Parts: sequence; structure tokens; C-alpha cells
Amino acid sequence: MIVDFVQNTLDGIFVGSSYSLLAIGFTLIFGVMRRLNLSYGPSIMLGTFAGTLLFVEFEAGLLAVAAATLAGAVLAGVYVERVCFWAIRRGAALASMVSSFAIWMQLEEIVTVVFPDRTYPFPPLADFALEPGPFFVRGDHLVMFACAAAITVLLHLLLYRTRFGLALRAVSRNPAAAAFVGINTGLVLFSAFALASAIGGVAGYLIAAADQQITPFFGLWATFKGLIAMTLGGMGSIPGAIAGGLLLGIIEAHSGWYLGTEYRDLSAYAVLFAFLVFRPGGLFAQRQTLRSQLAARRV
Amino acid sequence: MDFIWGLVQILGVHTIIGLSAYVILLTGQVSMAQAGFCAIGAYIAGMLTVLAEWHIIPGMLVGGLAAGALACVVGFPALRVKGLMFTVATLAFGEFVRLFWFNFDYQISRGGFEIGPLGGEGFRQIRFFPENGWSTLEVAIFVWVWVILIMAILWWMDRSRIGAVLRAVGEDELAAQSVGINLTAVKVTAFTIGGFIAGLGGGIYAHYTTHVEHLNFGVLLATFAIAYPILGGLRTVVGTLLAVLFIQGVLVEGLRFLGDLRNILFGAFIVLAMNLRPAGFIDARVTRALGRLFRAERGGA
Repeated sequence: MIVDFVQNTLDGIFVGSSYSLLAIGFTLIFGVMRRLNLSYGPSIMLGTFAGTLLFVEFEAGLLAVAAATLAGAVLAGVYVERVCFWAIRRGAALASMVSSFAIWMQLEEIVTVVFPDRTYPFPPLADFALEPGPFFVRGDHLVMFACAAAITVLLHLLLYRTRFGLALRAVSRNPAAAAFVGINTGLVLFSAFALASAIGGVAGYLIAAADQQITPFFGLWATFKGLIAMTLGGMGSIPGAIAGGLLLGIIEAHSGWYLGTEYRDLSAYAVLFAFLVFRPGGLFAQRQTLRSQLAARRV
Repeated sequence: MDFIWGLVQILGVHTIIGLSAYVILLTGQVSMAQAGFCAIGAYIAGMLTVLAEWHIIPGMLVGGLAAGALACVVGFPALRVKGLMFTVATLAFGEFVRLFWFNFDYQISRGGFEIGPLGGEGFRQIRFFPENGWSTLEVAIFVWVWVILIMAILWWMDRSRIGAVLRAVGEDELAAQSVGINLTAVKVTAFTIGGFIAGLGGGIYAHYTTHVEHLNFGVLLATFAIAYPILGGLRTVVGTLLAVLFIQGVLVEGLRFLGDLRNILFGAFIVLAMNLRPAGFIDARVTRALGRLFRAERGGA
């Protein structure tokens, strides 16, 4: 009984760490652009298919597949940024959203033209499992969790210890003021987008390697998971995105176990809706506002 | 000829669904729940005509009312948040509704057959039109009577005080509030009307396809619903109709000969249209120009 509960929570945390990565990518884009990118998941999906292309055609090794996945995701992400966000002037947020939806259909079509079958194999990452006591932990889940933790730390260092991070935070806080002090906002937005796509590419690689197969539906799935996790944690907050991803994973694991798999997604949506209605700022809402109030007072 | 009338039916239903999102967009909110309301209308109207053997018109109305009532109930909590939060909340709600129908079974036995919705299999045998001998032309006319009716009502609403209030909320909530407009009441009303219209659209959709399943009402339909009014422009209901003709008529049907390349070009055309006209086909400039044209004619006569 208690063993099941702990096991589910563990599974949830491991799967949730990949949701956290997706949510971090979403948060980066939303934080600096204030616009919704529906094509985020599909561009990751394109990356995973680039990886599988190397695997199926050339029997490439682990590193090559990972590199191709990452490169594909970044390229697709940059394409989305140029077409849907850079080309459309600021203020027309709805136009960007509709455009990113159109690009989503485009990316999905490209993939289904090149890969006509429904599913494709993806090379597994780590084929071992740990069994500490009564519990069971998959090796690739451990790797997933470790990667998510490492990326979080690196991202934190990048955002708070480098000039680029400072510029990015400045643009996110106030684009006009950032432009006045000489920050090339266009370049920062572009780099943030590429960075978000790279993080998404890592997440996509880890998820595909754990599932050992990919489908074109992965794009929709990744957009949804990232969006839900970002919203649960509070939009525009990186710690919130991490917590939101873990929470989503835990909710899914428990509801899948206690209510049945058909209620997994249903309960995730129900919790998201409840969260939005009763705690619109997400998990980290209160603390963020308090902290910024304090900061404002100090200034 | 049947193909043409079939296309005319599709255009009609998509116009209704686009108009349902139009009303909500007027208040400045992007609702991704329209596909969900559509599903409610489709399943309820279908069950009423198939299982209870009602006529289609009361069936559709009840389906629409059910969707509208749910929109009203959901609208109060959902509209506490706005902007992107509201979009995500309605997306979650729409998917929730879709998954509800995915898990929903209600079958009865009639004439040796099991009929009714069956979870992932969907709801087959919604055969009101063929059983009553309606031709595709008659169905197309039936669809467009609804389209014209809804468009006329929305057109009238747009020009009345209600439209002014909706637009005031959409343009500037603070200003609207300071002249005494109750924001929540206005937004929930718009959301309810949108849900009702989407429910009607779903009712027709279920009957002309004769088979609905949860996959019909996914995020694709929800995005199309908001894409029509955004692409067409929010100045007038005609914009939505134009965008439906452009997307469904030209891009989807017109490019069918391209085969696999169609969706790739489809994306490019929509991005191009949004780049050239970020406020939609019929934006403020066009309406002003049209207004001048008509005034000049009247002045000259």
C-alpha cells in the first residue's frame, strides 16, 4: 500500500522531470516574448525524427542520434521564431499564435511525408534498472532526472551569472528599457528561442529514448505537457516550471494507478483547470510577488 | 454535384463554429474550448435524434442549450483569469470534454443492433437525414439557413448596444469598467452565447457526417475555430465567413490536387496572410474605406 504510493510518486517525479524540461523551454519563450508558441512541441518532434533518421538509415551511435535530435529541434525552433515571431510585429500576439499553429501543421506534414509509417524505433539510452528495497527504478529514468537537474543548474548559472543572462532577464522584464540601455533585443529574443528549443530537444531525446519509439503525435503531446506544467507552476517562472512538471508527473502517476489509465489525462486537465481558477498565479505565485515587492521596497 | 453540396455543408458548419469563437474574441478572450462545446452539441443532438427519435431542430436546440449552459457554469470560474491563462484553462476544459466522450458509453438495443455512443469507437448511426430522405442539397440549404440566421443575429447584435459593450470590454477593460460595465457579466454572457452557437454547430456536424468520435473535437478544431475570426478580422461577422472560404474552400479543398504538399503550403499561406494582415482580412482600414464608399454613394444620389 505505502510501497505502491511511494513507487508511484517516484515514477511521477522521474517522468515529471522531463515535463519540467519542456515547461522550462516554454517558460523561456513565454517569459521573453509574452506570446504562445504552439509549434514548440512539433519542432521538438521534428528533432526526434532527425535523430531516428540517423538511427534507422545509418545505424548511428547514441551521441550522433542525440546531436541530430538537438540540431533538428534547434533548427525547427529557429525557423518558427523567424516566421511566426520575428516577422510579425509586436502587439499582434494573436497573429503569432495562429501562425505558429500553421507552422505546426507544416512540420507535422513534413514528418509524415518523409516518414510514412505510424511509429519509428528510437535507440534506448540505458538498459539497466535499480531495485533498492521494494522499489523499482528504470535506468533511463534516472538519466532523465539527472539531465533535468543538470540543465536546471546550468540554466540558473546562465541566467544569473552571465551578461547574456542579465540581458535576457532585462528584456523579459521590460523590452523597451532594455533596448534603451543598448541591448540588442532582437538577438536576445532569438537566442532565448534557440536556447529553449535546445532544452526542448534534450527533453525530446530523453523521452523518446525512454519510450524507444516515436510518432508524429509526439508534437501535440509535448506542447500539451509543457503548457500544462508551465501553467501549474506559474507562467514565466523557472522554479515554477520545474515544480509544475514534477507535480504533473506525480498527478498522472497516481491517477493512472488509482483511477485507471483512461483517467490519467482527464485528471491532469481537471487539476490544471482547478489550479487556474483557484490559484491563477500557479504554485509559485505568492512567493514571487512577495519577493518582488520586497525588492521594490529595497530599491 | 453531391461533392459540391458536401463542401457547401462543411463551409457552413465551419462558419458557425468560427462565429462561436468570434463572439468571445470580441471581449478580448481567446477560447480554445469551442471544440468541446461542439462535441457536447454533437453528442446530445445525436442522442436525441437517434435514441429518443426527436426531430433534428429541437435536438439541435437542446444540444446548443446544454453547451451554452455548461459554458455559463464554466465561464464564471474560468473568466476569473484572462489572457493566456484563460486560453490554457479553456484548452484544458476542451480536452476534458473530449476525454469525457472518449470514456462515455450509452448504448441501447433496437432491431437487433446496439446503437448509441460507444467510447473510443465513437457514435455511429446518426442517420436522421438519410432516414428522412433529405438530399445533400436540402441538407446544404438547412445548414446555410442556420448560418445566415446566426450571422444576421450577430450582425444586429454588433450594431446594437450589446456589441458596443462587448467591444468596449475587448478594447480596454479598465475603461469599460470605469463607465460602469460589469466585466464578469459581459464576458460570461459572451462565453455562453459562444458555447450555444458552437453547440448548434456540433449538432449539425453530427448529422451530416452521421458518425462522430472524440478525435473530431480535438485541439485542431479548437484552433481552427479561433483562427477563422482572427484571420478574417474582428470588425464584422463577414470576416469570419471570408476566412472560412479562404481556409476550407481555397487552402483545404482548392489545394487538394497537391497531395502531400498541401499542408506545407497551407502553413505558408496562413503565415503569409497573418504577416500581411496582422489584424485580419477586414480590419479597421477596410471597414472605414467601405463606410466612406457607401456614404459617398448615398451623398451622390
